[in-house]
Amino acid sequence: MKFVPGRLEVAAGDRIIWINRDFLPHSVTSQSSGIESGDLGEGKTFSYVLKKPGEIAYICRLHPVMHGTIVVK
Amino acid sequence: MNWKLVLPIAVFTPALALAQGKPSDPQIAHIVVTANQIDIDAGKLAKSRSKNKEVQDFAQRMITDHTAVNKQAGALAKKLGVKPEDNDTSKSLKKGATENVANLKKLKDGAFDKAYVDHEVAYHQAVLDAIDKVLVPSAQNQELKGLIVKVRPAIATHLEHAKHVQADLGKK
Repeated sequence: MKFVPGRLEVAAGDRIIWINRDFLPHSVTSQSSGIESGDLGEGKTFSYVLKKPGEIAYICRLHPVMHGTIVVK
Repeated sequence: MNWKLVLPIAVFTPALALAQGKPSDPQIAHIVVTANQIDIDAGKLAKSRSKNKEVQDFAQRMITDHTAVNKQAGALAKKLGVKPEDNDTSKSLKKGATENVANLKKLKDGAFDKAYVDHEVAYHQAVLDAIDKVLVPSAQNQELKGLIVKVRPAIATHLEHAKHVQADLGKK
């Protein structure tokens, strides 16, 4: 189970949409950035706009070995 | 082909013995449901017995995820009209589970946590090996095969998660 792509580059102000294509629930969680999607069931989406340049590391709170990175340019 | 996967754990050696050669689809369905239920039961014991939050969270994840997998397996079996059939492999899994639970019930605190997580690491590795070497190659029905393939990433993630908790316990 993993975030695909694991590393995503976006422009500041882009809206990022995560879609759970797995039958198990997942989350998009970054405590340092205050991002918390809640538990997302199969087919559910979560979107977020990152406005400041930088790197955001996030995990699935339910499966904390799942990692992702957003690079905001 | 006879398969025997022996898990070298300090006290117990639960053997994933696939002794009857290539399992049939009803037997595969039974093995899948049994393997999931074993981890659900172990998770419930750990959730009630461990005082370590990381172990409790891991245990809850095992309960929730393996319950979801069993729900999918049950729905597919019903759709296909497949009645899960008990077999030597399922019996061996249950025997190992009984021994594991009996051992865990003698332990508490850090010793319990270590034994539970060590077993989870070995168990998920054994299940992954069984998926790759026996269940997927043996499954005749393509939907059943597809379900096992779909579930494999969850087992791999559980294994990784268990190893992470194991490493954290080792630091204490």
